Amino acid sequence: MTDKLATLEDAVGDLVSDGDVVALQNMATQAAPMALVRELIRQGKRDLGLVVLVGGMAVDWLAAAGTINRLIGAAVSMEQFGLCQQYRAAVERGDVTVEELSETALNARLGAGARNLPFLPTKGLIGTDLIDQSENLVLIDDPFGGRPVVACRALVPDVALVHAHRADREGNIQYEPTILWPDIGIMPKAAQRVIVTAEEIVDTSRIRENPDRTVLPGFIVDAVIEVPYGAHPTSFYPRYGYDTSFHMAWAKVARDAEAAKGFLDRVVREPDTQAEYLNAAGGAQMIAAIERWRTT
Amino acid sequence: MSDWQSSPTATDYTIDELMITVLARQFTNEDQACNGMASFLPVSAFMLARLTHAPHLTWLAGAAGLEPKASKVPASTLESPLWADSVMYIEQYGDFWNYALNGRWLTKFCVGAAQLDQFGNANNSIIGSDYHRPKVRLPGTAGLGDMGSIGKLLYYWNPNHGPRSLVEKVDFISAAGYLGGGSEREDMGLTGGPQLVVTNLAVLDFEPDSKRMRLQSVHPGTTAEEVQEATGFELVTPESVPETAPPSVEQVRLIREDIDPDGMRKREFR
Repeated sequence: MTDKLATLEDAVGDLVSDGDVVALQNMATQAAPMALVRELIRQGKRDLGLVVLVGGMAVDWLAAAGTINRLIGAAVSMEQFGLCQQYRAAVERGDVTVEELSETALNARLGAGARNLPFLPTKGLIGTDLIDQSENLVLIDDPFGGRPVVACRALVPDVALVHAHRADREGNIQYEPTILWPDIGIMPKAAQRVIVTAEEIVDTSRIRENPDRTVLPGFIVDAVIEVPYGAHPTSFYPRYGYDTSFHMAWAKVARDAEAAKGFLDRVVREPDTQAEYLNAAGGAQMIAAIERWRTT
Repeated sequence: MSDWQSSPTATDYTIDELMITVLARQFTNEDQACNGMASFLPVSAFMLARLTHAPHLTWLAGAAGLEPKASKVPASTLESPLWADSVMYIEQYGDFWNYALNGRWLTKFCVGAAQLDQFGNANNSIIGSDYHRPKVRLPGTAGLGDMGSIGKLLYYWNPNHGPRSLVEKVDFISAAGYLGGGSEREDMGLTGGPQLVVTNLAVLDFEPDSKRMRLQSVHPGTTAEEVQEATGFELVTPESVPETAPPSVEQVRLIREDIDPDGMRKREFR
């Protein structure tokens, strides 16, 4: 057995380098590995590229902190909490470039990366201006005589960041109830390295009770870290819901760079442990609220 | 099942309720409906259709949960309160597209865009002339950039009809409509495309030959002139434009009491 158990500090310190392309699990207000996102900011990582299907607050934080300088993704939005204003401002200033892909184009790029193919095709995007803005998309003839398709060049992220319900020390990763989240199915398989935070680290005997819940095998995982409520303030079904007041608090300061920095100092840079972070984010009262939310 | 068929026309209703009934009419028992984020009007429409004329309409909530039992519209149309009690979870990304890319299923989508032009091209990417230095960065195309090119029938909804959202030419095409109009879309081998635009003022479709946006009906209390004035390009306007059929008393009751008692649908209107 290879022991993959790590700390946030060591995993991010050892496995993420400045300039890396980092794939992030996220769907608007759902399932982002936020403890890992905070650690990227705390360690002052620079010039990262971010791959994300639909990014939420994580993207806004990474843009506000100057951690990322490019994004490859399909959308960035916090749904009911609005657009990500720090990200938006960074793109409008030219500090973050965007390779905007449709969902099938991103899926094709990652699928080709996972399978060691030069590209995979999609029939999406034909007729749009999105093909021309990306050097990784080319309209090509169908070799079998059909209509043209869009070739989507393989994308191999340097590292994928994932949050899961449970893992063992060998890095076998389990989800409840299934591969529901948008990007667990492909992103980690395309990436060269995989870091996983889990709500709990359990003995392998517990994993063996439900092997059907295992969604990533330990042999592709480089580090696992136990981080309870590690997706806060995003939701992590069925464990807890998204934190409405935290999202509203961020949306309120995010239009102002100074106020945003103050917010990140308070909840990202100052707390040294997950427990301190949870306290800064509202403590027991907040946890009761996000746990109650799941039933309503 | 409510007595919706014999219910009289409502006089007490609001525009959101009218828009919901127009969207609901587009879906039948044979369809599979699917909603994305912040889609309060489409979700209300699917729930209304299922409670009235299309009880067997299949619904894939948030592109994740099949046939959910959500009792009312929640604050998010992506999160689990909408789909937690489904009959199947579908991986929102990879597996969803395995069903959606196939031409047989999920043929109709309700979609929204920051800008929509006279030929039904949509923009959710940028405002401005330089993609890399935009005046405004919009959220991004998500799945819409696919839907426009893979033969889907698209039903745009726009609760804020105005010259900034209905423009002569979009700044950037992030979803294909009828491109430059006429047969341009068809010539590229693309099928499907925008069918209807349901706004807070009117219902619009596309003239079959020119593919220009056309006034189909105006909502009660609005005139064709007012709709034209609120639009950033010249609409095709037939000589006589009918009024949009109002909802029935029972449809309004279902929306207010059962489907969306918390009034989430009102959040879409500025």
